[in-house]
Amino acid sequence: MAKYVVKRVLMALLTVLVVACITFFLMNAIPGNPWLSDKTPSPQVLENLNRKYGLDQPVHIQLVKYLGNLSRLDLGVSIKMQKNYPVINIIKEMFPVSAKIGGFALLWAILVGVPLGCVAAYNRGNAVDSVLRVICTVGISLPSFVVAALLSFLFCGGLPNMKIFPTMFDGTWQSYILPCFALGFYPMCYISRQSRAAMLDAINQEYIKTARAKGLRTGKVIFKHALRNALIPVITYLGPQVAFTLSGGFVVEKVFNIPGLGRYFVQSIQNRDYPVIMGTTIFLATFIVMMNLVVDLLYKVVDPRINLTKGGK
Amino acid sequence: MAGKFKHMGSLQIDEAYLAGLGDADFAPANQEEKANFIADRKSISYWADAWRRLRKNVVAMVALVVLIFIGLFAFVGPAIVPYGYDEFNAGAENLHPWHYTLEDQARLAEATQSVSPEEAVAKAQEEAAAQGKTLTSIEIAKIRAQANVSNQVTDEDGNVLSGDELNAYMRAQLGIKARPGGYSVGELERMANGEKVFPHLFGTDRNGRDYMARVMMGTRISMIVGVAAALLVLIIGAVYGSISGYCGGKVDVVMQRIVEIIYSIPEVLVILLISMVMNDTLKEYVNLNRGNPIAQLINLLGSNLIGMFIAFGMLYWVTMSRIIRGQIIQLKEQEYVTAARALGASGGRIIRRHLLPNCMGQIVVTTCLQIPSAIFLESFLSFLGVGVSAPLPSLGSMASDALNGLNTYPYRLFFPAIILSVMILSFNLFGDGLRDALDPRLKK
Repeated sequence: MAKYVVKRVLMALLTVLVVACITFFLMNAIPGNPWLSDKTPSPQVLENLNRKYGLDQPVHIQLVKYLGNLSRLDLGVSIKMQKNYPVINIIKEMFPVSAKIGGFALLWAILVGVPLGCVAAYNRGNAVDSVLRVICTVGISLPSFVVAALLSFLFCGGLPNMKIFPTMFDGTWQSYILPCFALGFYPMCYISRQSRAAMLDAINQEYIKTARAKGLRTGKVIFKHALRNALIPVITYLGPQVAFTLSGGFVVEKVFNIPGLGRYFVQSIQNRDYPVIMGTTIFLATFIVMMNLVVDLLYKVVDPRINLTKGGK
Repeated sequence: MAGKFKHMGSLQIDEAYLAGLGDADFAPANQEEKANFIADRKSISYWADAWRRLRKNVVAMVALVVLIFIGLFAFVGPAIVPYGYDEFNAGAENLHPWHYTLEDQARLAEATQSVSPEEAVAKAQEEAAAQGKTLTSIEIAKIRAQANVSNQVTDEDGNVLSGDELNAYMRAQLGIKARPGGYSVGELERMANGEKVFPHLFGTDRNGRDYMARVMMGTRISMIVGVAAALLVLIIGAVYGSISGYCGGKVDVVMQRIVEIIYSIPEVLVILLISMVMNDTLKEYVNLNRGNPIAQLINLLGSNLIGMFIAFGMLYWVTMSRIIRGQIIQLKEQEYVTAARALGASGGRIIRRHLLPNCMGQIVVTTCLQIPSAIFLESFLSFLGVGVSAPLPSLGSMASDALNGLNTYPYRLFFPAIILSVMILSFNLFGDGLRDALDPRLKK
């Protein structure tokens, strides 16, 4: 187990390093520079600016320097969007907003998706199951921006007498509801499909028969015996889902004007603010890789039958 | 055969049977008899069998029909609609997908614009002159103000209406009904003169571009991106996966480590970056090499699209390669592979001629399910403004543009959003049906 954890952590670090390098070279391959939109500065000014931020050196030296700073958790300062403001502070301010919305979205997706999947599996083949299947199939075919924009039309003043939620994100609890719903809708449908399949699989197992033969009540059989095993595939899905929720966050933050990290990341690419691009990419990548790691380890805790070290999946 | 052997399970031939054989039994078979040797039931090939199963799947067939319709809409539609997707129709800006006849418009104008301020002043001055008086400037100002105010109406509930609300209220009062198809005033006048004008069925955008033509073009681009990206993923994934699976050993270990790293890269972050970089790099290349055929090709397709393909091709083949590798590892232990190797076939030939055709079912299903995810990604990138670039429309960028003025022109969101969602849904359902048909074991 310990060997496995060490191996996974090393792998995760390697991934982050690869992402950092790819980002660095890609970023420098983009034609144009951060000063383009300024009022065409004179060559002298440009040179000074480049020297100040170390952009006059060859790319590989810049990279080595950057990685050196990174190892001391120094992400540099923004050179365009919020001039000379430390990137780490930007992340500290913006990430909690994104994380809150993503967290709530995922929470409701799990809390609603898993029971819906169980209900569908329990009612297999009848009308309830069909209705839920239709909803979930449609749900995984709707891009999150469509859901978000539709919600914002329906409940933010598009229809007469239906202006229930604020159009602009202002941090009040009402303004969290629509973004969280929009962001969690896709994962909810996906989780519900997953848990339906897993639940059906679990219900047909021998130990369920045994539990019933012992005379346990249906509720206990389902929740205590079947659900625990049905949850395992759902947990595997959660790791990648964190990444998905974050990327969905890009569009939801755009639709609802939320000052989150996703929106800022897209803007930073458009603005060629190199340190901000690097900082946010590395931060998000680390976060996602870490989540995958946590889920994989959690997997082992939930299902002791899984042997991680011998190619077990 | 029953009487041929001594007893059931014995291999010794029954003597009585041998004695009963005559010369006729040893004569060569004639044509008719030969024909009878061939099994009377026609053998059904794998694909025919799959097609038979697929046809029975109502959901998949409905999805297929919907996809064909969307395909016609995207590829044949632009030939029918006489407006170009980037053609500015002067005077037809911001049209709704419905119109009011010229007479109705005149009636409405009459009902709402009771009197213009200048007319009111002129009228009052006439009246005053008839009575032999002149109006002071203060009185004129008052009349003007009143004329402005009279452009408002108070409805039964006591709400003061003006502008669009007033128009809607007066239309209801006058019994004016909207007719389908958007026409500008100029186009209505041309129609009144007997000319035939194609309606703007989906309305127009704020530059006067026909919205339906744009939606058609956007759908076409989405479909092309989806299919092309899926094929790209198929090619890279198949080559990588089959080499990794067939070679095995150290080659496999190294190749799988690479796959693992790519697998754990947060793809959306990198794809955003790659498509951005590729877009600008290609644009610069096109600008520097005008006249060069490759540059012209890039220009034709749009540098953004190519950037997206490259991004897709670099990251999304991983799943495909894993699936193919798994299949190849299973298949390569089969006897026919050993036989082929014994006959001296090279590795490449065995993969191409023996292994890949045998995992075709899996490959087709995975490719088909890759299409909707590519469309998903394209619309996502376009929505964020890094995908397909202007003037080419994309369903994603159109939805993004529709966010401004969503409350006034909600259908500008609805049309692209509905087509996009129905398209993805149909591809998903068809892919599921295909999976069930090609690989019945996977059916859930």
